[in-house]
Amino acid sequence: MRIISLMGASALALAAGTVIAFAGGHAEFWKKAAEPFQGVTIRGVTESSPPSLYIREVLAPEFEALTGIRVDVETTSWDQMFDKGIKDMEAGTGIYDMVYIEQDIIYSYLARDFLTNLSGFLADNPELQAPTYDEANFTTFADYFKDDDGNLYGVPMEAFLKVYLYRKDLFADPDIQAAFKAKAGRDLVPATTHAEYAEIAQFFTDYGQENDLKLWGTTAQAHTGHVASWYEYFESVAPTFGVYNWGIDAGNNFSASTANGGTMNGPEAVAAMEWWLSMRDIAPPEAPASTWTEVGTTFGAGRAAQGLVYGENAGWIAADETKSLVVGKVGVALPPLADGVMAAAESGDGYIGYYDGGAFGMPHSSKNKAATALFLQYIGQNEVQPDWAVAAPRVTNTATYDDPKVVAFNEELGGYYDLIKDKGYLFAGAPAYPFHAQVREATAPIFYQILLGDLSPQDGLDQMAAAAEATLSELGYRQ
Amino acid sequence: MQSKRLGWILLAPTLAILFLFGVVPFFYVVYVSFHSWNPFAVNPEMIFNGADNFRQIVFDQAFLNSVGVTVMFVFFAVVSELILGYFLAQAFMRDFPGKAIFRTIHTLPLIMAPIIVGSVWKLMTTPSIGIIPHYLDEWFGITMNIGTSVPAAFATIVIMDIWHWTPLVTLTLIAALVSLPPDPFEQAQIDGAGKRQIFWHITLPMIAPAVVATVFIRLMDALRTVDEVWMLTGGGPGSATRFVGVHIFKEVFPKTNYGYGSTISVIVLYLTIVTCWLLYVTMLAPRNKRD
Repeated sequence: MRIISLMGASALALAAGTVIAFAGGHAEFWKKAAEPFQGVTIRGVTESSPPSLYIREVLAPEFEALTGIRVDVETTSWDQMFDKGIKDMEAGTGIYDMVYIEQDIIYSYLARDFLTNLSGFLADNPELQAPTYDEANFTTFADYFKDDDGNLYGVPMEAFLKVYLYRKDLFADPDIQAAFKAKAGRDLVPATTHAEYAEIAQFFTDYGQENDLKLWGTTAQAHTGHVASWYEYFESVAPTFGVYNWGIDAGNNFSASTANGGTMNGPEAVAAMEWWLSMRDIAPPEAPASTWTEVGTTFGAGRAAQGLVYGENAGWIAADETKSLVVGKVGVALPPLADGVMAAAESGDGYIGYYDGGAFGMPHSSKNKAATALFLQYIGQNEVQPDWAVAAPRVTNTATYDDPKVVAFNEELGGYYDLIKDKGYLFAGAPAYPFHAQVREATAPIFYQILLGDLSPQDGLDQMAAAAEATLSELGYRQ
Repeated sequence: MQSKRLGWILLAPTLAILFLFGVVPFFYVVYVSFHSWNPFAVNPEMIFNGADNFRQIVFDQAFLNSVGVTVMFVFFAVVSELILGYFLAQAFMRDFPGKAIFRTIHTLPLIMAPIIVGSVWKLMTTPSIGIIPHYLDEWFGITMNIGTSVPAAFATIVIMDIWHWTPLVTLTLIAALVSLPPDPFEQAQIDGAGKRQIFWHITLPMIAPAVVATVFIRLMDALRTVDEVWMLTGGGPGSATRFVGVHIFKEVFPKTNYGYGSTISVIVLYLTIVTCWLLYVTMLAPRNKRD
């Protein structure tokens, strides 16, 4: 509700003040550049998330008022967004001028040559180049949307870390601290290792039961029929045990099994699975039916003392009183790690968690490329970022971190923006696989069997590695 | 002659639309089903592979499993809807206080989109948060978790489908019951026939065409159920509710396995036609022959 009201207020204020805001010489550019496109409507499809809603409710009307170009942004579910965008680009119908590109799908899109090279397009059309837009303004997250030559294919519009969220109030409660110390023999502080995390989780689950509270020690995104659980394991848990890129070695004939040089079914992967399942077992009862959304809801409802939570949810959990019961009570930290993982991440050989986010790209099939390029530059300017970062917590431009509004909001978020700024480099997006969804879908049914206990972690991961290799052979990536 | 030509002219737009959006896509799916085609493969082109996909389907455990759970779902859902729908139709044939209001409320689920129905039921059945598990636990001490319990997830989907579609069956059967002539019933009563005899020997044979038509509609709908299940369980736990429709969706969209996905679609269409034909042969054909 706070986000919506902020958006509403921002929409009114910003739409009214648009001309004034850009009157410092730049308003003329937008008007002039948009002259040939009066009456044109550009259409985009994106996920119904706070950052996208901000584009629809605030930035699009603002741009329309400034340029006369109408922007129609369709916000829908995650599945529908991909379905609609991919079908449009495959058929080349040109319904959409902009599509949301999630970081993990960019490689598939590039492999299919769906997207327009924005750097090249602006270089070829200098009259469209906005004076306030510069690719150098983006954080390094933009690198995920570049090709090997450094050409940008999408304007970043959201970037989050999947962070370790914990309840500051519970961790600081003297009685709880004393009880934990009596039980564990150490101070109650955010965990840095898996053993510590498990100990804290068990303590709070027991504490909830003993005191008849609806409180558990950890969240778990462990849905038994939705890929969210698969993602939690491969993107957030396995890397903390040293299993990177889903355990597939792209440089070694895309091997997944240990027998062929992969790590999908190796001892670290098994240990990661066993640890995660043990956490799932002491998480709230809704865990086996939880996707990323429900995990956010669980934490926001005050039902978990700690957990791995997507940054897009961390924002409202920490700061939106109309949705969250734990506003002001949330702290952020790096996830617990196995030995050697931090060193690997520091040296660039590994990573400690998931850097999530997305960009807006322009399909080749767009029929209004010039007008779309203007809008994409508009949402990529430093000037529009601070209000956006406060209304829908996300940062894509380096300068945003230092804006006073964002600095103040960072305090409310328990230092979340500081974590992205200072430690973001330790996290990584999805591996550069054009076969992302294909391997995921081939292995997910086996993964669900592990969750249900029909297969042991070792047997299940063995089967998953075999299924991944079979699919990669079928697709022609593995020889 | 002129009126015949005029008839064809008037029909032409409909036929053209049917041809373009019904016949052409159907033959295209059949064509694709004989190919290997994944646009995200190293070779994204369509490659003719004869009957390989059809051969593969016979040994595809995931597909066979999805057919199995779909058949179970269709059986439990359609039979329950038919029985419940008949009793409700009989109830609505009589007068009782608040009948109009009850009939309106009873019909409301019909106007809801399946995706909304799935969302509503998801909210109601989310473990420990939803109203259903909450009261099952509070009143009966029963723990219901559709994320871990296969029977709970399956039963929830069947109940959700019954809730959503029984009103359709009720309405169809009311229409059939209203149109029945009173004479045979009066004569049967005079001859001393009991309620059960009247149902088996008069009511049921007379409403059989409506029953079969309703079963056809529900059968075809139930066989292609996707939205509600997708929202509620996503096909889980595991593959316990991965019905054929969900299986095809996962094969065609996320996996982009267009060739094999088309093959499954063709086979499922064939199975649906065969099932409907068997139903027709066993229930209606003998009756038509007698008539």
